[in-house]
Amino acid sequence: MSGRGDCMAGRNPNLIPSAKRDAAGSLGRRGQDRPYLAIPTPSGGRDKRSVSDTGLWRCLSAVSSYTPLAMSAPPSTVRRLFPASRNYIRDLWARREFAWYLAMGNLKARNATTTLGLMWWVLNPLLLGAVYWLVFGLLFDRGQVDNEFDFLPFLLSGIFAFFFTQQSMTAGVNSITSNAKLLANISFPRLALPLSALLESFVGFVTSIGVYFLIVGPVNGIWPGVQTLWLFPTILLHLIFNFGLATLVARIAVPFRDLNNLVPYFTRLWLYLSPILYPPSFLEGQPAWVHFTMGLNPLNPFLALYRHAMVGMPVDLGGALLGASAWAVAIAVVGGFWFVKYEGRMARYV
Amino acid sequence: MSAPAIVARNITVRFRPLVDRKPTLRRSLGRLQHREVEELVALDDVSVEIKKGEAFGIVGRNGAGKSTILRVMAKTLRPDEGTINVYGKTSTLLQLGVGFNAQLSGRRNIYLGGLAVGLSKKEIDGRFDDIVTYADLWDAIDRPVRTYSSGMFSRLAFSVGMAIEPSIMLLDEVLAVGDEAFREKSMQTMRELLARAGTIVFVSHSLPSVAEFCDRAIWLDKGKIVAIGEAESVVEQYRSRVTHKTR
Repeated sequence: MSGRGDCMAGRNPNLIPSAKRDAAGSLGRRGQDRPYLAIPTPSGGRDKRSVSDTGLWRCLSAVSSYTPLAMSAPPSTVRRLFPASRNYIRDLWARREFAWYLAMGNLKARNATTTLGLMWWVLNPLLLGAVYWLVFGLLFDRGQVDNEFDFLPFLLSGIFAFFFTQQSMTAGVNSITSNAKLLANISFPRLALPLSALLESFVGFVTSIGVYFLIVGPVNGIWPGVQTLWLFPTILLHLIFNFGLATLVARIAVPFRDLNNLVPYFTRLWLYLSPILYPPSFLEGQPAWVHFTMGLNPLNPFLALYRHAMVGMPVDLGGALLGASAWAVAIAVVGGFWFVKYEGRMARYV
Repeated sequence: MSAPAIVARNITVRFRPLVDRKPTLRRSLGRLQHREVEELVALDDVSVEIKKGEAFGIVGRNGAGKSTILRVMAKTLRPDEGTINVYGKTSTLLQLGVGFNAQLSGRRNIYLGGLAVGLSKKEIDGRFDDIVTYADLWDAIDRPVRTYSSGMFSRLAFSVGMAIEPSIMLLDEVLAVGDEAFREKSMQTMRELLARAGTIVFVSHSLPSVAEFCDRAIWLDKGKIVAIGEAESVVEQYRSRVTHKTR
């Protein structure tokens, strides 16, 4: 269908474009009644240029208010592959406050009945660090890392970063299935739910970074400095990576609930296979295939960047940034698109 | 008054729920290859046009497809076949307290529920006092919602649902909320909505309230339309069939 054709369709009085009713002072805001499950005809966006300037707005408004109203099923393959990304992102943006409130609500609710309440935000990373320090710092005393760096900051920076990923996955895997009521009743971009889960774990992570410097500052003399600025790109990439993981597990968990049970084991294995409790140099003397396999771990570049920013360990910055970016973008694109593509069918499984 | 608010054409919805037989190891392993499913046609080629300013009732036995058609209208369920067009801002009260978190205070839940139905934080700020006054919950607003009585909970949920100032309301059996006074108040609100050319779609097992409140009604049975038309006559037909069967 040509752009002009869309215009005509939009103006067809039989189709009652809501843009017209808005002009007449109807109750609905324009686009309010657009479902997320429906996908506007792709031709509407693509043929913009063939429409004259004055007609462009009318055409677009007619298209954006009319076409999505119709929720035809099943949609064509083209529609499924190219969802209305612009509208989707805009609607998702409109839901940012919702995602934030949902995340903060969950965080608050978790500690609402505890005696210590919000103290747990600080206590959780403290205890987490204490447990691993007790076992791997004192019991299996490893001395200094590479005979140069204290073990405590090395351990804590790795553990806190890893638990950000772990929390994103455990919160993400439940984000759809535990909000079944929302899914059944309200139509909104479902991506808001894993994003909210991501926010929830992110808040915890940021707190743990504060706790980190409160510990290693007095104990090891590591205070935030210029080096620490590397945290910003690192955390940004890590956020994107975790977003991908959260959407991926959320998507899979909808038809395959068993994932809820599998994630804890998977993350535990991942923890032990990552250079968190031991330095990368621990593998020296191992055969080549071990190095190769362990090198495939997506967390390696992230951990290297965190150790660089938080401990001051030397790192191949270019390689680590490149590796982290590649993993982050790849996982986020796969997870995000696969999730959105599946959205329309989610309500049936929950 | 003749402009349509909801146009549903040839809606068919099929569910394929997992069959939960006595679990055995053999069956669980079998599931990996072949899921045991039983196809269930919840809606079978249903076409309906609901007009602005109309109160539209849906009656039928359990499992007739009443809630399913509301979910299709709410656009949370994509039909397998057919099209659904909805013209207007929709408030969905299929279940009460959607988006609420029982651990949190009523105040916090007004924000959660309001943001869930699509209001912005600013809009909720502006309407907050009205919502609490309407629900008559000023003395309990800072208490966790889990300490509310079920009536208080319903009042709060209904008030939040109305706060988006919808032009179309989809209601599922929620009129039976709160005490007599609140029920009267909510009926009043819905009459005002109808007077503003709003639309109400109303699923209920309470035949008198459908007959009294709705203009038109539809009778669904096993996903098919049995009768559609004037609310009183549809309710009458349905009632006579049901009483006939039980005798």
